[in-house]
Amino acid sequence: MSEWSEAGPGQTPLPYPYYVDIVTKRYFDGVDNKAMDQVLDCFTEDAILTEVTSNTVHAGKGAIRAMFARLFADFSDIWHGNFVHTADPATNSVCSQFTVLITPHGGEELRYENCNRFYLKGDKFHRVYVYMSGDNLLKEGDA
Amino acid sequence: MQYEPTLGREELIELATQKYFASVDRKDIEAALDCFHEEALFCVQTEFTRHAGKPAIRKMFEGFMGAYETIVHKDFTCTVDEKNGRITASFEAVLTAADGTVTRLFNTNFWRIRDGKFQEVYVYFSGANVLV
Repeated sequence: MSEWSEAGPGQTPLPYPYYVDIVTKRYFDGVDNKAMDQVLDCFTEDAILTEVTSNTVHAGKGAIRAMFARLFADFSDIWHGNFVHTADPATNSVCSQFTVLITPHGGEELRYENCNRFYLKGDKFHRVYVYMSGDNLLKEGDA
Repeated sequence: MQYEPTLGREELIELATQKYFASVDRKDIEAALDCFHEEALFCVQTEFTRHAGKPAIRKMFEGFMGAYETIVHKDFTCTVDEKNGRITASFEAVLTAADGTVTRLFNTNFWRIRDGKFQEVYVYFSGANVLV
């Protein structure tokens, strides 16, 4: 198998519903319910998540775990919905647009209109790019 | 509800990268606008900005094309949902002003296609919005 690249050749397509389901029923369901293990199970060990609008890079599952631990601690309520997906088995990738409603402890609800690009290696996220319509909420956590 | 899909995978990629972005880079505003329906919606999501209808989109392009000496969009990575008439592309935009100042952006566009043209376009910027 050739070296992996984002949406690159040599990958095995998964069924179309797999891409929608891993994004909504596994990943964001886990984020919204603060289910850390469910969230991390979507990533490869050496996955990299980049928040593009602030160029914040979280490299490896440990850093991604720390980032989510901070997010879960900082916000009382998190909701992702209104999804529209571009799911592409041929490139083993899925891009998703969605609304985020998120409330800091003791604060006012914030609304974001974000998108994520997910590039899979096998059946897990290997590279994830997040664009946010406001301040970056995916800050570095204490590893 | 999605729009009836009419274009194949390669046609969607050609529409987004060649008919549209190659026209923008040539500053061929008529060719770029020809990719849109009259009532198309062009949204810069990272700024909550909306340009509704071709006249508003034309005005946006006139400002954008006038603000930069050269415009280059390159290194596209396309994700295509052929059955739903959607395409997403990440790319680098290199914008050079008349004074030589270079702005580099790593953006993502989502297009929803109806009858072979853009019905909705959503842009996510890695930096400040240049489509004002």
